[in-house]
Amino acid sequence: MSISKKQKRKKFEDTIGAIYSIAIYTILYIPVVVMMIFSFNNQRYNYYWNGFTTQWYSKLFTNSAVIGSLWYSIVIAVLATVISVAIGTIGALGLKKYEFRGKKFINNMLYIPIIVPEIVMAVALLIIFMKIGLALGMGTILIGHCTFCIPYAVVTIKGRISGDGYSLEEASMDLGANRIQTFLNVTLPSIMPGVMSAAFLSFTLSIDDVVMSNMLAGAKNSTLPVLILSMNKSGVTPDVNALTTIMILVIVLAMILNNLIKYALKKRNKAEATI
Amino acid sequence: MKKIISILLTMVLIMGLFTGCGGTKTGSTVESGKAAPSTELNIYMWQQYISDDLIAKFEKENNAKVNLSYMSDNADAITKLTAGGGQEYDLIMTCDAYMESLVEGGYVEKINFENIPNASNINEAYWTAKEYCVPYLMNYIYVVYNKDTSPVEIKSYNDLINPALKGQIATIDGARNLFPIALVALGYDPNSTDEKEIAEAYEWLVKYNENVVAYGNAEQNLTNGTASVAFTYDGNASWAMSELGDKNNLVIADFEKDPVQLGFDLYVVPKGAKHVDLAEKFLNYITDPKVMAANLIEYPYSCPNDAAVEAASDAYKNDPARDFDYKQNVFFQEDVGEAITIYNDYYQKLKVGE
Amino acid sequence: MNNKNILKRKMTLPALAMAGPVSLWMILFVTLPMLYIIYISFMSRGVFGDVVYEFSLESYETLLDATYFKVIVKSIKAALITTGLCLLIGYPFAYYIAKKPKEVASRLIMLIMIPFWTNSLMRLNSWLLLFQTSGPVNKVLLSTGFIDTPMSFVYTDGLVLVGMITTMLPFAVLPMYSSIEKLSNSLLEASADLGASRRTTFFNITLPLTFPGIFSSIILVFIPSLGIYTVTDMLGGGKVLYIGNIIKNQFGAIRNWPLGAALSVLLIVITGLLIFIYTRFANIEDMEVV
Repeated sequence: MSISKKQKRKKFEDTIGAIYSIAIYTILYIPVVVMMIFSFNNQRYNYYWNGFTTQWYSKLFTNSAVIGSLWYSIVIAVLATVISVAIGTIGALGLKKYEFRGKKFINNMLYIPIIVPEIVMAVALLIIFMKIGLALGMGTILIGHCTFCIPYAVVTIKGRISGDGYSLEEASMDLGANRIQTFLNVTLPSIMPGVMSAAFLSFTLSIDDVVMSNMLAGAKNSTLPVLILSMNKSGVTPDVNALTTIMILVIVLAMILNNLIKYALKKRNKAEATI
Repeated sequence: MKKIISILLTMVLIMGLFTGCGGTKTGSTVESGKAAPSTELNIYMWQQYISDDLIAKFEKENNAKVNLSYMSDNADAITKLTAGGGQEYDLIMTCDAYMESLVEGGYVEKINFENIPNASNINEAYWTAKEYCVPYLMNYIYVVYNKDTSPVEIKSYNDLINPALKGQIATIDGARNLFPIALVALGYDPNSTDEKEIAEAYEWLVKYNENVVAYGNAEQNLTNGTASVAFTYDGNASWAMSELGDKNNLVIADFEKDPVQLGFDLYVVPKGAKHVDLAEKFLNYITDPKVMAANLIEYPYSCPNDAAVEAASDAYKNDPARDFDYKQNVFFQEDVGEAITIYNDYYQKLKVGE
Repeated sequence: MNNKNILKRKMTLPALAMAGPVSLWMILFVTLPMLYIIYISFMSRGVFGDVVYEFSLESYETLLDATYFKVIVKSIKAALITTGLCLLIGYPFAYYIAKKPKEVASRLIMLIMIPFWTNSLMRLNSWLLLFQTSGPVNKVLLSTGFIDTPMSFVYTDGLVLVGMITTMLPFAVLPMYSSIEKLSNSLLEASADLGASRRTTFFNITLPLTFPGIFSSIILVFIPSLGIYTVTDMLGGGKVLYIGNIIKNQFGAIRNWPLGAALSVLLIVITGLLIFIYTRFANIEDMEVV
């Protein structure tokens, strides 16, 4: 009798959890939906709703500046994510496992980019780059982004691996695997949720960053957030909304496609298994 | 072997990133004048301030690529000019108040006006630091209000602190925009350096602040009904009025004696600019009355180029945002030197609140 | 603990390979810039607010003004509220996701992040468009007769709070998810089997074991909340300045780099102090990896 009570309770909790989560997703997505709706706004700047039009979508295909900066932002974000998560993951593991002189110092340094307002770091990096004569451009923006992404990655992964023991890894090495094999096949999979969180976080931080990208940019390209920031004085034109809408649709489509493929593969495997 | 090659490739890639992505080697001018003309022009200016078509035409005529980067604040341009990054650009836009210090500090190049004959079209009265800059567009900073919803008919700055306007004013921000109107309202010089006067202006602004609903994006709040009064630029007021079209019930405050601020956006050539020849060609291009007149169709801001204003469309000449009769009653933003720290301190006090 | 003692032997190559890159990066791109910032906080201000390399304590003297103290207190209060709410709202959410199978969870996490790949300024503007006097919310309220005249939701503290929470929530959820996810189900089942009530299980097992994640969330939410300025600028109408605005202004419109540097040093000291007190009080080892 108590078993079905437990099941009932679990179901109840699941439903509450689902409702709660849907509520939160709704609140998070309301601004996005509003943005998508206003991509059809018949007004030069999005001040208020003024009628329906699709002109912004056709304008997008003639305005290479907006699309160009989106592409630039994505490239930078991907590179920054890869670099930051790589350095951050092995860094977090290394900082946990090994003792070395200056370890406390590095640990404290990691918190600095999180504590210090970004504008301060950006200004300091700018001065240093100027002093060593480094030309501003994608490289300098990348350095800036990684500098705040790496600490976020490390903190996220630290929260994941805290308290973990090394028994699995030791077992793996006892069985003959070398360090790299152990890392790739044992350690990494077990901390994958943390690595994934760190990757998402880094990508998000980089693609929406405006302060570093503004200060350390070269003359030839701007990232999309910097472009939008400079529109703030007069008003953001709805073609940016249109671009964002397309972006989101592409992502959602990719997710659905991914699910469909996985589902189809599963079904096929099941069918083959029963033959 | 493979490993070494891949390591080398990675290093080359990283170095390529560091030298700035996407840059092609461009020819730049050499003093002798015999070198190949530049094929690239890097400009740093406000967004939504120049017509894309005109840029495209310039690119075609000169067989060059124009790279536009945009600033979000005057401070961005000053940082580029003074702290670093300025030499990446050939033209940077800044405003007249900074020219004295920029010239003194050696941050800008002298402009060779022999290559810019069209510059003669610009009204002398609107041109500070004549050898170092070319004025582009100008802004009257005045008050517009919704005649149907505003509880007060505004005829002077002092009307703005009328308690009936509580939460009704949308205003632009900036210490050098706000303090001058307070100083004028109190009868002082808008570019005062006297601490006592500035302190009184601060008290005036505290009352003004009570009436302010939001700083920034004044015309957005004026048109969507959040505010009934706006202290803003004439160009932005023009947008608001044309957006409202037939429903336009915005009027310019009919000031009786208070002067309004007239500010200028001008192009300077930063020290170390690499494509000065193209920069000069560009400056000559945009001071051409026909070119600027076409620009004014898309961006109907006030313009110091008299010939261009003459050649402008009728819609521009009849723009209601510029239909006021005290255009000669203006003051300019001057460099206040050390006193800027007094302004900044009081400005922060104002914003931090009690 | 024996495991760690064994590994504390000097193992230079693996240590270098793993902790080396991050250490190098931190030294080059964090320590050096910060040293420069501390250095210029002791310099004087030039005509353009840039740095004139003459020693001067005037930046620190300026800091003694009561205005800055007020701003810091206000900012800390606002950041604390934001952090508290993000934790309260985020923990159950993180728990729900963490209990799902890994594939589902990763998709759910991605769903959280997608709004943040759109531009934050535009998202903030969307709240304005929604809640402004002529916006849809007011229109609905008016048409249903709920209110007579349009309410002004925009440029209020409430809307700023909504903006802050929606901006900071992923930074709270992600670390907590990561920590809750590795909480083994068998532990919870064992606790229940031993007769503990759900509440006891939660407070004595779940919460303590997920504390590293909570701690990371606090760090990742509270500290940026202190320095953020876009939300108050857009949703608050720029009427109130927090410490983030003030620092940004020193490098921007107000132009006083040495003062900005001094303010940043002050912020680091205060935050460092708060973290220090907190870790002592909560007895966490996680500030430095043990």
